[in-house]
Amino acid sequence: MAASGKDAGAGRYTDPSAGKAGHGQGKDTSVGKEGQGRGLSGSFGGAASDRGIKPRLKTVRTGVQLICLGLFLWLFRITDYTGSDTIPWAVNIWFRLDPLVGAGVTLATRTLIFLLWPCLVVIGVTFVFGRVFCGWVCPLGTLIDLSGRFIHPKKKFQVQLRFLKYMILIVVLLSAFFTVQLVGLFDPLSLLVRGMTFSIDPLFNFLVTGGFDWIYLNGPAWLSNQTEAVYDVFKSFLLPYKQSFFFLSVFSFFLLVAIFVLELAGRRFWCRNLCPLGAMLGLVSKISPFRRIPARACKDCDMCRTDCPMDAVNENRQIMTEECNLCMDCLAYCPKGITSFQFKGSLQKNLPDIGRRQVLAAGLLGIALPVVIRTDALSRMPAPDVIRPPGALAENDFLAACVRCGECMKVCINNALQPLFLERGLAPMFTPVLVPRLGYCEFNCTLCTQVCPTRALQPLDLAQKHTFVLGTAWFDKNRCIPYAEKRPCIVCEEHCPVHDKAIKFHTITVVDDRGRTMVLKQPYVRQDLCIGCGICENVCPVPGTAAVHVAAKGSMSDTFGAGTSYP
Amino acid sequence: MNRRKFLKQVTLWSAGILMVPPVFDISPAALGAKTDAAPDIFATKGKDITAMVRQLVDAMGGMERFVNKKDTVVVKPNIGWDRNVDQGANTHPQVVTALAGLALEAGAAKVLVFDRTCNEERRCYQNSGIKPALDAMDDRRIACEYIDDRKFVPVKIKGGRSLTEWSFYKDALTADCYINVPVAKHHSSSGLTLGLKNAMGVIGGRRGRLHMDLSPRIADLNLVIQPDFTLVDATRILLRNGPSGGRLSDVKIMDTLIAGTDPVAVDAYATTLFGLEPADVQSTVEGFERGLGQMDLSRCRIQVFDT
Repeated sequence: MAASGKDAGAGRYTDPSAGKAGHGQGKDTSVGKEGQGRGLSGSFGGAASDRGIKPRLKTVRTGVQLICLGLFLWLFRITDYTGSDTIPWAVNIWFRLDPLVGAGVTLATRTLIFLLWPCLVVIGVTFVFGRVFCGWVCPLGTLIDLSGRFIHPKKKFQVQLRFLKYMILIVVLLSAFFTVQLVGLFDPLSLLVRGMTFSIDPLFNFLVTGGFDWIYLNGPAWLSNQTEAVYDVFKSFLLPYKQSFFFLSVFSFFLLVAIFVLELAGRRFWCRNLCPLGAMLGLVSKISPFRRIPARACKDCDMCRTDCPMDAVNENRQIMTEECNLCMDCLAYCPKGITSFQFKGSLQKNLPDIGRRQVLAAGLLGIALPVVIRTDALSRMPAPDVIRPPGALAENDFLAACVRCGECMKVCINNALQPLFLERGLAPMFTPVLVPRLGYCEFNCTLCTQVCPTRALQPLDLAQKHTFVLGTAWFDKNRCIPYAEKRPCIVCEEHCPVHDKAIKFHTITVVDDRGRTMVLKQPYVRQDLCIGCGICENVCPVPGTAAVHVAAKGSMSDTFGAGTSYP
Repeated sequence: MNRRKFLKQVTLWSAGILMVPPVFDISPAALGAKTDAAPDIFATKGKDITAMVRQLVDAMGGMERFVNKKDTVVVKPNIGWDRNVDQGANTHPQVVTALAGLALEAGAAKVLVFDRTCNEERRCYQNSGIKPALDAMDDRRIACEYIDDRKFVPVKIKGGRSLTEWSFYKDALTADCYINVPVAKHHSSSGLTLGLKNAMGVIGGRRGRLHMDLSPRIADLNLVIQPDFTLVDATRILLRNGPSGGRLSDVKIMDTLIAGTDPVAVDAYATTLFGLEPADVQSTVEGFERGLGQMDLSRCRIQVFDT
């Protein structure tokens, strides 16, 4: 007892299973069978005799976490063109499983979206087993757990803000109800996929290819022959097809890094204090019957309070089921070996750790924020640069349905879709826009419409894609070479993919600046044919700002007036 | 083959040793610009593309004339656009596979097929049918790879009138045998895009900048890229809305292939398929003026086969 007391003091957050793995070694096999039997009958752990399975259960949990993380990373990697016009796997399944996304989108769009029904599975599992998603499945949670090997909480920074995640949840869902979609700012999966798409994946590729390229360009041939072979393996299995570049790479990087830095203030800080998905699942798990037994921490022992990674034991020594993520570490570190998880739990009377005033404040913020956002003057400004991806709903519906997951930007074959920052205010932050000077929308490509988990981008078949209007091109004749310099060009016309070309030209005879008479082709746009793919702006050889621009759909039309960005 | 060996040596010596990529210095005189007084042009009509390609190559003296054992052969089709075979914006995949097969038969150690595309390269390689067709040949000696940006090297173009320096793809410069396989189609800037214009697919940089003076520059590029022979795919030709096309009503089925070692003569003859005169295509005229070949068809020996 004395020893474990010391343990709790000195190595508060050390891995408890490491030291105790030896306890039940002798009984390993027999106990394993017993454990299996118990598992089937609906409980884990229990009497002191089957301590042998406890370290193993942690291994199982870590294994499940790593498999889920691997699946996540694999789906992330194959969110790309693979030679087929259709994405063969449900690469967006993580967002479709996400009940926070499901609730936010359903509230904001006031429609039931069939694509999001898998989130009911997570809700259902949480009803029965509690927050297992957080402890066993969530890839961000797994990464946070893994980071624990390198980032150790500092005792003096310990902070407990459980209420905050409920407040965020309330604000997000209330705003959604008033059709301002803020889910994407706080949803853990959105944060993770965006951070990986915008910064981690480009960073990884940059470092690896940069190394191989340096050897290829500067190293001796005998060496580069070897490294190029290794490079080929990397390219086939690990690296993205090509280097991508994103706006907000720095911002997204630090958002993601911040989650891990917060670990200094306590293990699973994000999950315990900030994650609105965790808050939502926690509330659902209040009535789950699968509980840790005993439901209270023993009076003579502090292990549960000090070693629980989720800090799920409150001041009254009670286990807060909404905080427990079912990691089941307590099976291993309980010095008495009396803990177990069973379908015996009765409904707890204690309420979630949030005060009435905090609920009220969050509620008021959730009502005020959508209104304040809508009264921003930006909502009355024309937005010719906000060119939405193909299949996008009308702007207001799009903003309501888009959860800023970043999938469309990840899959975009020309790296043409980029996230907005605050150019259009807070609400559209991280939503995708086409930036033609960086990349154009590939005529025959519909991948972004396929990966969108919320149907903010409606699926398009090829024929629909060919006529879907993103915007309209217009010429700046002060810069366009055949007009301004009286020299031939029409690169834009060559590239125009529309079958009856939307860029046409007048053939005229002009006298150029040196007095020579010449025949020249001067391009113009047939607005009725242009779909705004942006390839003309992309390939325009005029240095710097192109001489042909795409203006977003509607932003150039006569009917555009004040206040059309928000209802 | 002296030029190629020289280039190969230069590349091998410079590769990986110099921090600065080598600037190739190629003078047309050293290349011995090969204006033949009466060049041969071979054309064939039919449906069996593979047999037609073999017929033309045999007529030129067989692939062994161009390919030695252990050679690296470049087959350079037009894969510029994300269009399918019927839309006629890219070289027909069967022409490419037939040439690759003949090159391997002649003992080539490696057949490289590539093009710097205008649309996204993976989509172009895939939907042109060229990569799937070459992959189906399942031969490790064939490499249908995407352009590797690291392989562009600056080249000084001696004798260039409008262009004196540009970056070229190293594999195209160092190949033992370079086979040019354009598709014949309409092009709004240059009139038609044929063999000479196909050199645009092995150069780096921002190619749109060349359009201010396109035809002279195409000819200048061909001072550097001098194919062993050119085989023009006119199985179907794009009459309007080129070079990207897309509309089937703009495509005319011609079932024709044209080949020859004189790039200007081949282009000149291909022009007639569109009902135009050789002089209507400015790049042909510019090529002729630079001594790259003969554009006067009355001075060419034209042989037309029928299968």
